[in-house]
Amino acid sequence: MSRRGTGASDTDERTDDAPIEETMSRTGPADRALLPTAGGAETWAALREMLRGHRLATVTAVGVLVAGTGIGLLTAPLLGHVVDLVVERRGTDALVVPMVLLVAVAVARGAATAVGSALVARLGETVLAALRERFVERALALPLERVEEAGSGDLVSRVTGDVSVIAKSVRQALPEFSRSAFTIVLTLVGLAVLDWRFLAAALWAVPVQVLAVRWYLRRAAPVYAEHRVATGALQHQLLDSVGGVRTVRAFRLNGPQLDLMEQRSRAAMGLALRGIHVVTGFFSRLNLAEFIGMTSVLVTGFLLVDNGAVSIGTATAAALYFHSLFNPVNAALFLLDDVQSAGASLARLVGVSGPAAAPEPDGRAAPVDGSVKVSSLDYAYVPGHPVLQDVGLEVNAGERVALVGSSGAGKTTLAKLIAGVHRPARGSVTLGGADARELGPSGVRRAVTLISQEVHVFAGPLAEDLRLARPDADDEALRAALATVGALEWAEALPDGLDTVVGEGGHRLTVTQAQHLALARLVLADPPIAILDEATADAGSAGARVLETAALKALEGRTGLLVAHRLPQAATADRIVVLDRGRVVETGTHGELVAAGGHYARLWAAWSASRPGTTADAAGVAGVAGDEG
Amino acid sequence: MPAGGPTGGHVLRGAIRGRRRSVVAASLLGMGHQTCEALVPVIVGVIIDEAVAKGSSGTLLRLLVLLGVVFLVLSTCYRVGARITEAAGEQATHRLRLDLGARVLDPRGGADADRLPGALTSIATNDARRVGAAVTVLSYGASALAALAVSAVALLRISVPLGLLVLLGIPPLLWLGHRISGPLERRSETEQERAAHASGVAADLVDGLRVLKGMGAESAAVSRYRRTSQDSLAAALRAARSRAGHEGAVLALTGVFIAVIAVVGAYLAMRGTISVGELVAAVGLAQFLLGPFQLLTFVNAEFAQGRASARRIAEVLAAPAAVEPGGAALPDPVAGRLRLRGVTLGALRGVDLDLAPGSLTGVVTGDPAAAQDLLRCLAREADPADGVIELDGVPLTDLHPDDVRRAVLVAPHDADLFETSLLDNVRGPDTPATAVERALTASAADEVARLLPDGADGVLTERGRSLSGGQRQRVALARALAADRPVLVLHDPTTAVDTVTESRIAARLRDLRRDRTTVLVTTSPALLAVTDRVVVLDGGAVTAEGRHADLVAADPAYRAAVLA
Repeated sequence: MSRRGTGASDTDERTDDAPIEETMSRTGPADRALLPTAGGAETWAALREMLRGHRLATVTAVGVLVAGTGIGLLTAPLLGHVVDLVVERRGTDALVVPMVLLVAVAVARGAATAVGSALVARLGETVLAALRERFVERALALPLERVEEAGSGDLVSRVTGDVSVIAKSVRQALPEFSRSAFTIVLTLVGLAVLDWRFLAAALWAVPVQVLAVRWYLRRAAPVYAEHRVATGALQHQLLDSVGGVRTVRAFRLNGPQLDLMEQRSRAAMGLALRGIHVVTGFFSRLNLAEFIGMTSVLVTGFLLVDNGAVSIGTATAAALYFHSLFNPVNAALFLLDDVQSAGASLARLVGVSGPAAAPEPDGRAAPVDGSVKVSSLDYAYVPGHPVLQDVGLEVNAGERVALVGSSGAGKTTLAKLIAGVHRPARGSVTLGGADARELGPSGVRRAVTLISQEVHVFAGPLAEDLRLARPDADDEALRAALATVGALEWAEALPDGLDTVVGEGGHRLTVTQAQHLALARLVLADPPIAILDEATADAGSAGARVLETAALKALEGRTGLLVAHRLPQAATADRIVVLDRGRVVETGTHGELVAAGGHYARLWAAWSASRPGTTADAAGVAGVAGDEG
Repeated sequence: MPAGGPTGGHVLRGAIRGRRRSVVAASLLGMGHQTCEALVPVIVGVIIDEAVAKGSSGTLLRLLVLLGVVFLVLSTCYRVGARITEAAGEQATHRLRLDLGARVLDPRGGADADRLPGALTSIATNDARRVGAAVTVLSYGASALAALAVSAVALLRISVPLGLLVLLGIPPLLWLGHRISGPLERRSETEQERAAHASGVAADLVDGLRVLKGMGAESAAVSRYRRTSQDSLAAALRAARSRAGHEGAVLALTGVFIAVIAVVGAYLAMRGTISVGELVAAVGLAQFLLGPFQLLTFVNAEFAQGRASARRIAEVLAAPAAVEPGGAALPDPVAGRLRLRGVTLGALRGVDLDLAPGSLTGVVTGDPAAAQDLLRCLAREADPADGVIELDGVPLTDLHPDDVRRAVLVAPHDADLFETSLLDNVRGPDTPATAVERALTASAADEVARLLPDGADGVLTERGRSLSGGQRQRVALARALAADRPVLVLHDPTTAVDTVTESRIAARLRDLRRDRTTVLVTTSPALLAVTDRVVVLDGGAVTAEGRHADLVAADPAYRAAVLA
């Protein structure tokens, strides 16, 4: 009965392996509007739909498994027959037939189980692959606004955590659960065939089992959920402390950080122990059911043999049948919990993959050039706190316009509205003469590329990262794009050149290199309009200048909108638009605005003041850079 | 393996020794449990023999009571034993986690060299858990051995030849099963790798969703995921086929084995050597015995994993310290005079530098590596290969690194914020409230706090990534200022802050650090303009120094470096 011996450590494994991301999203702000979760009926419908294409496979798999289990059940009556032969003092020759039959049964059962399990696995894995692919497709198509509203952690947790919970169930729980279930059902049938009164006797165990399962599920689910949260918090704390080890040491925070670690670790341990308490309590209760059932089958056997209704061999077979039920019953009931959590995960996946993406417009609208027109735009993240008010802006095709303003002026929000990341509350965005609403999400994205402050290097070979922007690009095109932005030199100097695995778990690129890649992707995607949102801010002073040059190269031949906080970069633009508290307050060339003595002139003065006696010089530098562009 | 530190064996033995009592108690209880499990089929056999066959209801009642007692003992032993042994494993894991945490965060450093935070976290969670699991399964192993012993005695008492047949038959049976499962293990590993890879790709794509949407690459991303998903499917199917084959083969082998036992037993029973009940018991025991044998195999596998994990843990625990503590005491009070002579490390080639107490000095270098190495030396993250750094006349190498950091705070450019409130990030364990207030104002982090929904008490999620780059820098700067150390070294503290705010910060910073030694490693003119003196590092050594305005006027190279 190894199931019992290892049962508790199985739980341990399961709870500890729970994905961190899942918990991260749950520990996040509670007031977030999480992505939808499907209801029970909807989940069932989705499951049925997924299985529809595999009806034949389903029937075959179930059929083979049932046959295998059925054959296996012949063992007990055969053993009973052997006992009868002994009791009846038949000669040893009589043993040959049962011996051959027992071996045949063993082999046939093994073969049927092998084939059946493989079929069930194939079915489960195939459906699972289709499910996760469909889910990822829908997830990536969700409007960004919706994802940000829910926090990206919610989506990440579904894409990794829930998918792996279901995979684990399909891979481990499903085969064992289905085998156990068939064994239980067929054994009960077998008992009934021996004598219906044996079945009635065995069923005395059921009420206790039902109570035990209810007891277990009620307690286990919340403990496991809490434990997942606690291990997530622990893991998070470790990453936080270990990732920030230099800061920890510099500020001498080892004591407080270790205390936090100890608290989180202790909390996780406490919950793990509570989980073990529940599991062990559950199996203890099942022991009681075993005893009741066993006793009742033995007493029934005694009575039936006593009044001559059955032979001693039959009574033996019934006892062996029931004894052999111990393991499958424990396994099936224990796995109910897995089945339950797989169901919950499935509902979370179906919730996102269910509703089809918003219909794309007919596609007749298309931008004719790279011009951008924004009129009377309003936007607020929180109702009542407008970030943009009545913003109007016109950018000609090929023009380079800098957006300038202090933090919180609404520069980034305006950039996101033009790029179609957010939809305006009022007003309109026109790209190349076509209304953004008529272009639809994919039309807008073909017209505009937005490079934001957030850098992300996609895990995998560097070339694959670039190909996301243009899947059909050959190596030459990739090199050309890198060369355009001046990144080819370092890219080729990487350990494996363009095949170097970068991103999470691979070669770590600097912030500057990552932004360089983003600019190379822009060149590959080749949209008529590009928006750079402080794309050079995080790179430190040396990197910023390299990236500014790269950005100018990447913008060649397209309309450029730059959100800039380094004024020299703004000064090189064809035109500068100054935002203040959500409104456009000034617009004009660098010279005009400095001369006008307004908002921009004050910014420029502040910048120049830190560079004593070099105002003219800096403007000169700006001029030179402008000539290059 | 570094000399002197604990080895994997030490770690594993230490974990077990720490839970000695639990392991012994759980083993005894586990033995009780397994013995009773073995007794169940024996008693069933006796009931068939003595009660059912003979029709004696009194005997039936007595034996059923006995069966009830066996079940009670079995259940209690299991419950108590499992709880003890699992708790022992959890506690061992907890202890190891804290030991690892303490080693990694140790002021002497060294454990985090060449290891990514993710890898260290994985060691502190997964490897610690596996060592804990090895502690847990010890008692399961002991109980399996007990079950083997009891069943062996019972079988041999029934019939010596039958007993020997069962006991000698099971090991080759398990060996055969193990042989069959060889490819299975490899395939399972591949399956898990592929699944993890697919999951990683999906998470990575979702992580970069903004970037994907920014360039309209969703469909390219979906097809990339589909490829890895199909890869994962293929590996999963190969593994599933192996697994199914293995299960089938084990079932068939077991079935044949039971058939042989049954027929041999029946032969013996017909010859009158054993009774019918003994035959039933023998068959039941043969079935039962597979359990303990499988349990032993499982224990063995867990132990092997535990040993490998203990080795990884030992490597971290035994990592040599990056810097060794010296015996000198920190001057009290610290005046804040720094003197560098011929400091050489990495990109630094003989740096000579004197920083007077209370001075505000700018350090300009075009070489990021030189800046990094200078910061590491000043923070005593590393000691110079050559040359000396003195604080108030005491070489840093004579001080404990923690004491150095009590006096000198080096705030890196890519400062890490912690996942707690803005205020708690800024406030150290013993920072006075007024210092926090002043630091928040000086760094303009008070403006950041005002923009947060919950103000300064708002929790910064994902290590401050909920803030913009400039906001993050301001909070980090506030934290550095609030610590109020005699010597403060700031590296590029305002690169993502807008010009107007930067000028304001520069003025306030100078004011706040008036009587304290401060070093600004930066090329920002706004910051350099408020310094007393600027030192230019080029080629790893000091090449120029003077006032910012003078250098701007006289030195074209300097002008190019700081003004653009």
